[in-house]
Amino acid sequence: MKGEQLNSFTEINEKIIESTIEIFTGMVMMEIAVAGEPLQTMGPLKKSITGMVGLAGTHKGVLAVHFPKPVALAVTGSFLGMEVEEINEDVQDAIGEIANMLGGNLKTILSDRGKDIHLSLPSTIYGDEYAFSSQAEVDQVILPFQAPAGIFYVEVELER
Amino acid sequence: MIFIDIAAEPAADSMPPIEPNVSSLIGLAGDLKGILAVHCPAAVALGVTTAMLGMEVTALGEDVKDAIGEIANMVAGGLKVSLAAVDKKVELALPTTVIGKAIRTSGLSGATRAMVPFSSPLGRFGIELRFVLS
Repeated sequence: MKGEQLNSFTEINEKIIESTIEIFTGMVMMEIAVAGEPLQTMGPLKKSITGMVGLAGTHKGVLAVHFPKPVALAVTGSFLGMEVEEINEDVQDAIGEIANMLGGNLKTILSDRGKDIHLSLPSTIYGDEYAFSSQAEVDQVILPFQAPAGIFYVEVELER
Repeated sequence: MIFIDIAAEPAADSMPPIEPNVSSLIGLAGDLKGILAVHCPAAVALGVTTAMLGMEVTALGEDVKDAIGEIANMVAGGLKVSLAAVDKKVELALPTTVIGKAIRTSGLSGATRAMVPFSSPLGRFGIELRFVLS
């Protein structure tokens, strides 16, 4: 049973990786690559911004994307085609929108054409140092990606 | 349930903002799309967790995360029931908790935002709702 679950999560991982690369290549106009094996946990985030969106319906969960500040600025710059130097409203909107797009894809990955799963509004969190975690009973995966400006993480938490 | 008396503060522009060390967020989806958040300074988060668990909690860790996350869940659940009474169907995502220093949360520009500050013997805390009607 445990093995079966791991298998399906591996399958979900692959599809999330695929769609993350697709979004970055097609929408953000940035080349990214997988940066190593999925992580189970992550330490506190320092000077970072997190975009997150909730999933509700047949699957309950959260999709989050964690960017260290320099990566967030580079991603926003490339996505919006403008230069940004600080975490401002444009950066919050861009990072929220990336979480939203990833959430939309995750919805289709989890259920046929995304029916019966709904997304919440995206939200962003930023600060000097924070730990991000969900409630206990979840399956969780953190996928590291390498962008030209540094590493960022896509995290998925789903209720068992 | 938690046995702490709280009161909503009257709306005023001059109130100092709440500086949260713990924020629990939960997504809402359906006829109303949004996010509900509970923002607590450390003292409030620890006091509430201590009251909920019936044991002294002194560090911002797992227990606090579970307690404040559960409050976000319960408040959102209450909202879901109230909205169901007016034929608006809303489903809840999972609560997520952020613990840290100088944390800021924000939503997509364009959403309606309501922030209600509460006062309690432990200090002030805030409940925030951001939403769009779909």
